[in-house]
Amino acid sequence: MAYKSTTRPLPGRQPLSREFIVRHQRARIVTALAIEISEKGYRKVTVADIVKRAAIARNTFYENFRSKEDCFLAAQEFAMSAALERVVAAAGELEEWPWRVRAGLAAFLEFVAEEPALARTCMVESLSAGPAAVKYYEESQQAFVSLFRLGRDVTPHGEDLPETLEEAIIGGVFWIVYQRLAAAEPAAVPELLAEVVEFALTPYIGAESAREVAAP
Amino acid sequence: MRAFGSKNWLISQKGLGSSGSVSSVLLSDPVKPPVDAPDYPPELARLPPGRHGLPREFVSHNQRERLIAGLAEAVSENGYAGTTIAHITRHAAVSRRTFYEHFNSKDECFVAAYDSVMSELRQRVGDAFDQKEEWPRAVRAGIAAMLEFLVAEPHLARLSMVEALVAGPVVVERYDAAIQSLVPYFAAGREGRSAKVLAGLSPTTEEALVGGMVSLISRRIFADRTEELEALLPDLVEFTLTPYLGSAEAARVARA
Repeated sequence: MAYKSTTRPLPGRQPLSREFIVRHQRARIVTALAIEISEKGYRKVTVADIVKRAAIARNTFYENFRSKEDCFLAAQEFAMSAALERVVAAAGELEEWPWRVRAGLAAFLEFVAEEPALARTCMVESLSAGPAAVKYYEESQQAFVSLFRLGRDVTPHGEDLPETLEEAIIGGVFWIVYQRLAAAEPAAVPELLAEVVEFALTPYIGAESAREVAAP
Repeated sequence: MRAFGSKNWLISQKGLGSSGSVSSVLLSDPVKPPVDAPDYPPELARLPPGRHGLPREFVSHNQRERLIAGLAEAVSENGYAGTTIAHITRHAAVSRRTFYEHFNSKDECFVAAYDSVMSELRQRVGDAFDQKEEWPRAVRAGIAAMLEFLVAEPHLARLSMVEALVAGPVVVERYDAAIQSLVPYFAAGREGRSAKVLAGLSPTTEEALVGGMVSLISRRIFADRTEELEALLPDLVEFTLTPYLGSAEAARVARA
């Protein structure tokens, strides 16, 4: 688990364990929010919509969340921390950096395929859900940045790479994943693995070596 | 007469007295204005109230453009969610009734504004790209034109790259399409590459490049650091050319 020291813990409240969320109806509410958002956009979703979709009492909603914003932050936290946790766990099982990237990306794509509404919500709507959501999104992305940045150590020209490279790679991966979600094709997301691995590794280790890892 | 040099073309072109579209007005004069051109005073740009003997069609067109400009101003002040029709009509200096003669809702006005910004941006990127013979130079010129426009028009940059995302599914769909429409510029780079290079390009390479580029740009606009965009040029060029040219050659073009 060499990655542990290099990835920052997620900011804000401590991430809730999945078990906790399931036990407390929060998962149900958060999922309902995500589905409502993907249908009408964050702004137009009301607490009444969420309550109806989750088939819970209004009181139950307010026992768990203060507001729609609060619920959104919980959804975002859950999705981001679960995704990152899986990425780090998968990557940590391997020694060499390019293979770690492959394992991490595979874990990420699988997570998105399993939780398409949540993933889409976090990728698209974080900007519309207020400053706290934006801040959280930016900081979580930063954790992914540091995973990629290790690639600079394995290449002789690491110091010459553009400062913004990792940010651009993550933006690119998110974009193609998001395009599949926007087209309502979550099942196709894991099939992107070879392509995103090649895309992410090429600037560091060159196209040929990247391809060997992408499609072994 | 020309207001192209002003900071906000949507607003200043109100006074042009032309019934052409915003982009045709701009593109009829490709001369780059001095950077420090003064803002066109909005009061001069506004049509005087009352009877002015101008043809009805012209007035109507002018009003529509004023409303679009008014929306851009209002959104940059209040964000999309916080913008009301009253904000828009105040900035446009027209009545509420006039607003409803042109648009049914704020959303509809936003879509019109979005489309007019994007058609302008597309035109500029396309023109810059077409002016260069060699593909790597053309990519560089296209990206430079995009950044230049966004830096010169921070309100419109925010409207098209940030507020568009919160303006509901209709605009988000257009936003997605606008970004995907950049794919062919990069895909053109496949032409004439060796089999070895082509084998390294996946079907989604261009999409990923475009997505990465846009994310770098929009995050800076979102953080109100639009002025930093021009400095991104070499990074963006290197990033987008690397899959086709390899990183050494891409870096060379980027830093030329």
